[in-house]
Amino acid sequence: MMGDMPAASSGAPASGEAAAAVAPTSGADLADLLRRSARGDEDAFAALYDATSRRLFGLVLRIVRDHAMSEEVTQEVYLDVWRHCARFDPGRGSALSWLMTIAHRTAVDRVRASEAARRRDDAHAASSQEVEFDTTAEAAQSSLEAQRVRRALTTLTDAQRSAVELAYLGGYTHTEVARLLDLPLGTAKTRIRDGLVRLRDTLGVPA
Amino acid sequence: MSPDLHHLSGAYAVDALDEAERASFEQHLAVCADCRAEVAELTATSHALGALTEATPPPALRASVLSGIARVRPLPPVTGDAGEPAPADPVTSVPVTGEPVATPDAGATPGAGADVVPLRRRRTVAWFAAAAAAAVIAAGGLVWSPWSDGPAQPSPMAQVAAAADAMRVSSTKGSLTAEVAYSSQLGKAAIDLTGLPPAPAGKTYQLWYIGADGSARPAGLLTADPDGRGTMMLEGVAGSAANVGVTVEPAGGSAQPTTAPLVVLSLA
Repeated sequence: MMGDMPAASSGAPASGEAAAAVAPTSGADLADLLRRSARGDEDAFAALYDATSRRLFGLVLRIVRDHAMSEEVTQEVYLDVWRHCARFDPGRGSALSWLMTIAHRTAVDRVRASEAARRRDDAHAASSQEVEFDTTAEAAQSSLEAQRVRRALTTLTDAQRSAVELAYLGGYTHTEVARLLDLPLGTAKTRIRDGLVRLRDTLGVPA
Repeated sequence: MSPDLHHLSGAYAVDALDEAERASFEQHLAVCADCRAEVAELTATSHALGALTEATPPPALRASVLSGIARVRPLPPVTGDAGEPAPADPVTSVPVTGEPVATPDAGATPGAGADVVPLRRRRTVAWFAAAAAAAVIAAGGLVWSPWSDGPAQPSPMAQVAAAADAMRVSSTKGSLTAEVAYSSQLGKAAIDLTGLPPAPAGKTYQLWYIGADGSARPAGLLTADPDGRGTMMLEGVAGSAANVGVTVEPAGGSAQPTTAPLVVLSLA
């Protein structure tokens, strides 16, 4: 399953020009904004917010669903980022990846802590501005990067793709993912890992 | 490396482990460079999916974020790994140093002869594991994370604050600020202390649930990080406790408070 080379079928070269690096602002700029923010530069932080808030808020909203709670979580994320920006270590990954990691973890923790059933309420799903994410639907306004990611997702098996999406975009645990996909307990984590490995090989390892 | 644990790297990267699994995998990450490298790659890869979910936040959010940060000082960079060990060694007899702590009334510390009790007993629920993991990170950065000190660990305060009936109380004494989040539904309280000096040698901070009648139940040991911050979920359940208090105790903790509390916060 891991033997074939999906990169060959991908439209984009699997170079260092990687997914996370194709940010609204280049990774080096974001890292610089973080450095300046660490010195208390609020203008730099405002620029960081402007460059990343669509990405972070969108992710939080996708996971949390509820609009008001998503705003609250996003604010908490940025406050956390501000407080910790001196601790960002460029040697461990890109600035955007760091921000997204904080946002993802915070959003996931919030939905799990605040009664998981809530976000699965139809009422909340209906109030979300996002429709269910569908890899087959190419949104007309989809960015080049989004198109590239969608293409990369087609190199995954159905089980891998569903598992990765439910875990990352749905915020479900691998145990819940196994239940949702009718997989034997314990296999969802393997699907998630295999899917991510495939994505990594297709998109290239983000700098 | 254990193959079983290794296979958790993907699920860890996308936050798909439950709290107990996450805590144990982080212990593994601390000692497994292969897994650390793989998690870093898979985490970065997973965020590519963020390109599919962009959404414009309301303009008001920008204003509240920027006004929020204006009131918060960014933490300083980590300049040396103190690697402070967790307060695990029971100390039988501690000379009283009389070293000043946060407030004047904390001077009297009759340390010797205090009973040492097993404070980490009965961590029955996975729920506590998250707080424990956070505590490990605070204590010495033993646990790996993609940033230097794990800001996105589930904050105990946030966990409690998420409850529908959560309340917060805070108190300031000199340079010490204490905030408690409490939910009677959850039966849990979390505390966040800032301006906390390191405990004197051979001493530790200890948390207590204090009943309306003044009786105290131990609720865990707390270590101040190099920034003077200490935050954790109180151990055990709040039950009928009316207050939460913090004292200085001999390392390893005491069965009952042996010093006057630095601060007491009411849960009522």
